[in-house]
Amino acid sequence: MTNNIQVTRKNPAYHLKDIQHYYGNTKVLDIDDLKIEKGSITGLIGPNGSGKSTLLKLLAFAQKPTLGQIFYKGRLELPFSSSIRSKITLLTQKPYLLKRTVFENIVYGLKIRKEKNNLEKRVAEALLNVGLDYQDFATRFWHELSGGEAQRVAMAARLILKPEVLLLDEPIASVDIESAGLIRQASLNARKNWGTTLVIASHDLQWLYSICDHQLSIFKGNIFSTGVENIITGPFEKSDQKTLIKKLEDGQIITLNAPSQTASTAIIRKKNICLALEKQSGNGHINQLSGHITSMLLEKKSETIVAAISVHDLSLIVLLSPDQINRLDLYPGKKVILYFHSHDVEWI
Amino acid sequence: MDFIVAGFIKAIELLISGDRATWTAVWATIKVSTGSMLLSLGAGLPCGFVLGYFDFKGKKHLRTILDTMLALPTVFIGLAVYAFISRQGPLGELGLLFTLTGIAIGQTILAFPIVTAITATTIENIDHDLKLTLVSLGAGRRNIIATCLWEVRYGILAAAVTAYGRVLTEVGISMMVGGNIKYHTRTITTAIALETNKGLFADGIALGLVLIMIAFIVNLSLSFLRKQ
Repeated sequence: MTNNIQVTRKNPAYHLKDIQHYYGNTKVLDIDDLKIEKGSITGLIGPNGSGKSTLLKLLAFAQKPTLGQIFYKGRLELPFSSSIRSKITLLTQKPYLLKRTVFENIVYGLKIRKEKNNLEKRVAEALLNVGLDYQDFATRFWHELSGGEAQRVAMAARLILKPEVLLLDEPIASVDIESAGLIRQASLNARKNWGTTLVIASHDLQWLYSICDHQLSIFKGNIFSTGVENIITGPFEKSDQKTLIKKLEDGQIITLNAPSQTASTAIIRKKNICLALEKQSGNGHINQLSGHITSMLLEKKSETIVAAISVHDLSLIVLLSPDQINRLDLYPGKKVILYFHSHDVEWI
Repeated sequence: MDFIVAGFIKAIELLISGDRATWTAVWATIKVSTGSMLLSLGAGLPCGFVLGYFDFKGKKHLRTILDTMLALPTVFIGLAVYAFISRQGPLGELGLLFTLTGIAIGQTILAFPIVTAITATTIENIDHDLKLTLVSLGAGRRNIIATCLWEVRYGILAAAVTAYGRVLTEVGISMMVGGNIKYHTRTITTAIALETNKGLFADGIALGLVLIMIAFIVNLSLSFLRKQ
């Protein structure tokens, strides 16, 4: 095996290079270069079918990419390799519990590693981590658990392994608010106590922003390292040779520079969208859209606010500084104007 | 109608009195069917796993052949085994013709496709997330195979019960390969056929009752195991 990246302490946990993955003839992932730092918590955002689960499977080394290489801590690794199998664990979207008791489900990974000491104590700790009582749950069978309890037992089965990397695919999709809080705390504790690197895919932006250092957005297999970006899908109408327009049902129109080659989806980076309280006079190349703020989330690392603006049936994201929030007196429900230049568009 | 009632009464008498001819047929049946089941499970489980779990070239063709083997008539298997183990056959020197071992070989050929096909279907229907879960918990190839088989243990039990039912009740192989030799290779089914031909319905019904009882005990034991 040729390692073209030297193993040093500074190597990221993951380095994905020129990754392409296909299901049949359909390309589901296309990542040129992606690094995930050790001990970081990375959020993965994207619509259904965007490639999140596939990416997590590749990161878990449970699937081989069609093309490209994945380096783990600077070393080129292959799927199912025994050297990394015990270090990385994935909690799938619909966790599968073995047809056994909760206790046996949780110790399964330890038994594979031939660890037999203090099993009861370790299971009790793992269950406590996800807010479940050992006495109540250890002897229950898989079919005696609710969806949320099954999710938490599956999480406990991963936490007991003290993994180097914990990959979570929609971990709170079927749990209540309390369980979501417990899973959040358990994830943060894993990083704090064992230096675990976490990659978490979720549709719940509020929950994700409350736990992640940074977010990656994924759409049609393309990764946007700047986090969630604005995706505008067709149909578009041709206005002239160089311009496409999208008519919203409330009469507002979005004007975009036409793509140079065939593409069907427009990306407007959130950094290119500005916000004001009133419409301004400008040329025809500036889009001015009226909408309402629906939510505001703090992006911890940059200490900026990510605001979601509802423009009829579109939800657009803008980045705001705390100063702007104060100056414009912004709050969810407030009517605002978004403006961006028609040439600030990327097509995929 | 009277002869059927009389047959039931005679059946109970034969069983209680420990009639030698009846009980040697019972033991011969239990021995060959259990032996053939163990052989077919030993070979069929791994083959079924491979067929159900992995994707490989020619899998569809193999499955078609297997499905065809499910419909093999017992007299044909009997004929084929006879041809191989008779004195002129390639395995004639082994002296397996008209022995319980010979019958067990034939019954294994009968049960093998049943065990393999049901195991393969059970494995194919395994939740797709199971393998991913096992891999993500650090399981190696051996652990994956063992855990998958354990997860579908009820499906495999069903395969075993179905195959056992088939070998327990077949006549063609036992008759052709075993030769229906009294006190030696006579099984319950061949004895029933013979007694009926002779007009001795009571003996036939007695043996039929034993056959049903064995099947009932096997199913009861498996049902008990399932509850465990």
